[in-house]
Amino acid sequence: MIDNVNIESVLNENTICLHLKGKTKDEILKEMSTMLYEAGRISSVKDFLDDVYMREEEGITGIGNNVAIPHGKSDSVLQTSVAVGRSDEDIEWQSIDDNPVRLIIMLAIKSYDKTVHIRLLSKIATSLCGKEVIDELLSIEDKQEVIKLLSKEDQ
Amino acid sequence: MMKIVGITACPTGIAHTYITKQKILDAAKECGYPCRIETQGTIGVEDELTAEEIKNADVVLLAVDVKISGESRFTGKPIVRCRTEDVMRNTSAFLRKIEEKLLAHNK
Repeated sequence: MIDNVNIESVLNENTICLHLKGKTKDEILKEMSTMLYEAGRISSVKDFLDDVYMREEEGITGIGNNVAIPHGKSDSVLQTSVAVGRSDEDIEWQSIDDNPVRLIIMLAIKSYDKTVHIRLLSKIATSLCGKEVIDELLSIEDKQEVIKLLSKEDQ
Repeated sequence: MMKIVGITACPTGIAHTYITKQKILDAAKECGYPCRIETQGTIGVEDELTAEEIKNADVVLLAVDVKISGESRFTGKPIVRCRTEDVMRNTSAFLRKIEEKLLAHNK
């Protein structure tokens, strides 16, 4: 397990929403960026979104099994962070298995950050290779459980 | 038994680099291929391949979206180059196809 103090520094309940309101990819990217803004993690929704969309153009972020990992490395990021969003409905999203998306793990990366936070984000992303973890993340309602699942080191 | 060494690297160097590595390792295990993957991400090079590992490998898999460093290490080896998303898509099938091609090539 990754140290909980560490994981809480990139992911806490303020940036988790298990019932997103947005019905499209664009709405959800905005909704989740706003969540990061309100949690004091980014300084501008617009600037951050510009960098997220730039990354979207470089390749698909739907990693299969109904999960997407949009991410932006941006000067607007105040602290490297993760936002977790889940939709009650299927969202259309370019994905490696051509399936729609339900779970969105958004990574906000501070420019030039090479600290332990970056490694945490990479580990969180890697944890999403495990189908069992995804299945749990798609159904649980407890935000603390979400944090715990994403901080598991080995599946 | 095909021995694989490889490198993963993506534009941001945070997510796809490591997801792709994990998927390749999982698929290689499933197929019974010994496999070592080096990552070149934001935090730099990790799990760097040794000269010995490269020498013993049957194939070099470069799943990279960006320019990588140290490519001259693989001179003379069979190289498969693709984007991270190509190998993420159906990793076991992707690896098996490489083996088929390698066998055909070595006949």
